[in-house]
Amino acid sequence: MAIDGLIILDPTGRAIIQSGFRSSSPAYPLLHIEALNSALAKASRPSDVDPVLYVSALELDTPSACCHIKHSDLRILCPVSGDVDPLYVFAFLQAFVDILREYFGQISAETLKDNFDVVYQLLEETLDASGHPSTTYSNALRDIVLPPSLLQKVLSVAGVTGLASQSSNSHPFASPIPWRKMGVRYNSNEVFFDVVEELRAVVNKGGVAAMSQVWGSVQANCRLSGTPDLLLSFANSQTMTDCSFHPCVRLQRWTRDKQLSFVPPDGQFTLMNYRYQPSGTHQVAVPFAIKASVTFDENKGVFDLTVSSRLTTRTIEKMTVDWFLGDGASSASCNASNTSSWTFDPRTKTLRWEMKNMTPSTSFTLRGHFISAAKVPRPAHAFRVKFDVLQHTFSALKVDQLKLTGELYKPYKGVRGRSMGDVEWRW
Amino acid sequence: MSGLNLNAIAENATRLGTRLQETISEHTRDLAIARGASSSYFDTPEDKVRNIRKQLDSNSDREKLDAMKRLIALISKGRNVSEFFAQVVKNVASHNLEIRKLVYIYLLRYAEHEPDLALLSINTFQKDLSDPNPLIRAMALRVLSGIRVPMIGSIVVLAIKKCASDISPYVRKAAAMAIHQAYKLDSGLQPELIEIISNLLRDRSPLSIGSVATAFEAVCPTRLDLLHKHYRRLCRTLVDVDEWGQADLMALLLRYARTMLPRPVVTGDREEVDLDVRLLLTSSEPLFQSYNPAVVLAVVRVFYYAAPPSEASKIIQPMLRLLHISPEVERTVLPYLLMVSQSLAHLLIPSYTYFLIRSDDIPHVKRLKMRLLRLLITSENYQALLREFAHYAEDADDTLVKDAIGAIGYSARLVPESAQQCLSILMSFIQSKHSVVVGNAVIVLKQLVQSSLQQGQAIGTSYSSTGIISRLAYSFEQITHPQARACILWLVGQYAADESVQNGIKIGPEGVAPWAPDLLRKSALTFTQEEPIVKLQAITLGAKLIVLSPADRTLILLNRYVLSLARYDMNFDVRDRARMLGALLVGAIPSLHEDDEEQEAPGGVVLRREQVRLVLFEGKLGAPAEKDVLHFDNQTVGSLGAITGKDMAADSVLPDWLEQGVDPALRVSEDDAPPPPIAVQSLQSAVPRSIASSNLASPVVLTPTGPSPSGSYVRTDAKNAWTNLDEFYEESTEEEEEEETESEEDDSEEESEDGEEREEHHEGPESSEAEDEDKESGEEEEDDDHSPHAIHHTS
Repeated sequence: MAIDGLIILDPTGRAIIQSGFRSSSPAYPLLHIEALNSALAKASRPSDVDPVLYVSALELDTPSACCHIKHSDLRILCPVSGDVDPLYVFAFLQAFVDILREYFGQISAETLKDNFDVVYQLLEETLDASGHPSTTYSNALRDIVLPPSLLQKVLSVAGVTGLASQSSNSHPFASPIPWRKMGVRYNSNEVFFDVVEELRAVVNKGGVAAMSQVWGSVQANCRLSGTPDLLLSFANSQTMTDCSFHPCVRLQRWTRDKQLSFVPPDGQFTLMNYRYQPSGTHQVAVPFAIKASVTFDENKGVFDLTVSSRLTTRTIEKMTVDWFLGDGASSASCNASNTSSWTFDPRTKTLRWEMKNMTPSTSFTLRGHFISAAKVPRPAHAFRVKFDVLQHTFSALKVDQLKLTGELYKPYKGVRGRSMGDVEWRW
Repeated sequence: MSGLNLNAIAENATRLGTRLQETISEHTRDLAIARGASSSYFDTPEDKVRNIRKQLDSNSDREKLDAMKRLIALISKGRNVSEFFAQVVKNVASHNLEIRKLVYIYLLRYAEHEPDLALLSINTFQKDLSDPNPLIRAMALRVLSGIRVPMIGSIVVLAIKKCASDISPYVRKAAAMAIHQAYKLDSGLQPELIEIISNLLRDRSPLSIGSVATAFEAVCPTRLDLLHKHYRRLCRTLVDVDEWGQADLMALLLRYARTMLPRPVVTGDREEVDLDVRLLLTSSEPLFQSYNPAVVLAVVRVFYYAAPPSEASKIIQPMLRLLHISPEVERTVLPYLLMVSQSLAHLLIPSYTYFLIRSDDIPHVKRLKMRLLRLLITSENYQALLREFAHYAEDADDTLVKDAIGAIGYSARLVPESAQQCLSILMSFIQSKHSVVVGNAVIVLKQLVQSSLQQGQAIGTSYSSTGIISRLAYSFEQITHPQARACILWLVGQYAADESVQNGIKIGPEGVAPWAPDLLRKSALTFTQEEPIVKLQAITLGAKLIVLSPADRTLILLNRYVLSLARYDMNFDVRDRARMLGALLVGAIPSLHEDDEEQEAPGGVVLRREQVRLVLFEGKLGAPAEKDVLHFDNQTVGSLGAITGKDMAADSVLPDWLEQGVDPALRVSEDDAPPPPIAVQSLQSAVPRSIASSNLASPVVLTPTGPSPSGSYVRTDAKNAWTNLDEFYEESTEEEEEEETESEEDDSEEESEDGEEREEHHEGPESSEAEDEDKESGEEEEDDDHSPHAIHHTS
């Protein structure tokens, strides 16, 4: 099992970052970049490209595959050959993206070019020479590879480099707990938990949900001094199933009494993921409804959509309705009611309708038509709807208490909820 | 972070102050563009490139760092910068860690091209191996092992040896990672490296163990005997290992278990699992809850390939959980679910909603989900699934449309209750505006009609088979899909025979269904514009009709017309078919060739009408209902080949279980403070067993991979001592059977047989089971006779 290397492509398909492919010919990475770029060019929608591309053995000794993900406008790809599980690769890519995000905030071709030396160092530390992920805990990495900071920039411009920040905390690898660094000090100790839930549902023509699941995660932002040992318990932990945890969580304790006992990493991390299991056969309701009528003419489709909120107290925010208009769709023209707006992207052939704020029991309409090169247009028979609801969770998960042991201070604690939705609404 | 920075500022304050004063005037401009500093490195203009050499030779750290960043940027752009090697090597001992790290990155890329110069830097690395800072020690070792200059092989081994006994676990980890590099450099170093690995295996810190596992797999994958003493400890520390290590270590432990431990035995309701296998299962089970999908899949593999059948079901829920993580993960987990579904489909049925296809799924994911949904059709959920399939038929993805319509037909055959509904859906598709939908619906309808007519039973209650055919015949003009048109023509021709007389009046030609001749007329009209496949069927239809009703004048004329068109067709297949059918019909319907010039001498054998009829109509068994053949027989869950669907050359095959495990006493190590009672017990029970076995006299070799495999394991058995041979075979047969259902992992020798069995399972599971038993026990017998044979697999 080994990953051959890692390449980051900018939006035009040129490599910005490329790890050393020491054990293969120089053509090897190029072949993979080429394979991905040509697959992207061929696909009618960029998202249609298979994430695991087979790269034939024509010029290579062994057949290989190109595993790739898309992040913002970048493509990150890992060529693999031989006996490697693509899932292992995708897990690594995800971990690597998370690290980059932690180091640079938003990732774009620009930020990577700004900090490519840091990226190279990170790559060196996270992926060892034989292609195995090594250090991926960001706490440990921060000791080895310094995150870019304004101070450093000032120092470097002023001509004082590296030294000082190294000596200030020159104990990399000194922590006995691999995910937490040593000697953390804060003036005010605080820990925040965000309960983020996502509704994934498929709604059939009649408005009845064929499937609806709520996946949640507890994101923590921990700013606590020393080595705190936390015990987090929930008031309704029985509603959580299919849980998965950050390695810091003591699994036995959870199995025994459904409490999270852990020494947290410093900074932001995902503590746990779960699926909300409503009691009985009851399903989580989709908080909006869509009425759609679509008729077809030659080379043309006429539609009339109405979205209305089913919530009575809360506001649905940032709702977007995406509709793939089918191969050959060339343009659309619509009338969107009051505050909503629409755009049509001819590359992805997708019509997007955005509603910033949907106050309780209001509705929006979108009327218009689209032109298609196909004689009988074949748009997708479903809308993809995404939305946010702030200060709300589907599961009403409640943190019962948070105990801290091992340190003497009393931390400030905060919990808040947030939900999102990703719904396919068929018509 | 801010705390750290404050410290940094404090320490820098004085230094910065003086330095700033000196340089501030020159650098104010730099400060202004500080934000985009590195970006400007990335787009270094040519004149600056020439400057790099000078910068590297300068005394200022700042200049050097600047130059190094430029170099790395150039590397990144794919430019060969090996010309600067000499200058860069000089900086390898720089006091500035920042510079040094970049130099390392550079060296790792170019050392191979400049071996002589690279050797200059080796001294520095050797010195660094004693640096007080573990980071520097680890880094020095990494670079040293990464410089691929063969002549330093022994130096690298020495360095690894030194680091392998370092006090910092991180450095030991680096040592483990370097082992693979050293091995790649010179495989002759293997014996020494194996020694280091076996030392590292004793490491108490869970930190390095993952890397040791990968080094083991790379350097000496066959020396599983080295793990005996550590197996139990490794299992227990599994939870504390870092995530990537967990995945690697579990793969190794699974391989060990399959090679060295006895296979779980099912006797009736009782399952007997060896205590060491049990240990692996219990220590890996909590990791189902890992947030890393790779770890979860490693546990899935452990349970799928090593757990007794009752526990194999534990893998389903964690696998389903992975599906929502990301589209890429979904894409990889679905094929594994498909493989698993061969034996565990019943567990997936309640969760079919996980596989509902969304219109923005990746096309590949759509296909995989479709295959899964097909497998999960039952008499309980068919209503919901048919609704889904009908929806997918409207999708913009042609392949999905085809699969969905095929699945509807499959459901009609599989679940008789659903047939009625399936037919209505398919008939409604014929009116669709999209030719793909119509075409596929016709093809599926044809298969349904054909198989129902063969079995002599109606498909649904409201549609008779001939009713469907006539409906299809009437909608012939609206259907544009060539294959569908050909299908209709064939279907009508094949089933046009109709002797019934309604109310004493026969409509249309005698002996032929009333709608059939009209179809021939329609196809004759458009004959010239048709695809060859349609033309072929049109001629055949004509021939069939005329054989059924030889006296009909109109039919003769139509046939004559079609045949003469076909004779001068551009396509030679069509011409050949016309000539063949014309010749065939000569005897039966002489009037067909009325004005033909070749009519005078038919020559050869002339067939009578009944004979022609036999030729044209008989032997048209419907294509066997397509089975969902899954080609996963020799693929393992968690391999690249299973994802790409292609042979990936290096995909490793998990070894099959040994008949008996090796002596559990081997796994007793001094650190299992009170020796577990199992070991003692098994030693005792081993005595009667070895008396019964033929291996009594053979020497006890502890390492099955040694040079002489004969009699290389002791038949110790913690279970019960076997009394007579019959019982033994009976027991082991059950064992085999259980293995059948639990995993599809097979030896290459068994492959062909296995394929057969699988097919048989489709038709009559009960009858084939008995056969399985025979086969398996036969095999068992053979294996028993040549016991060393079984051991070969491990090496």
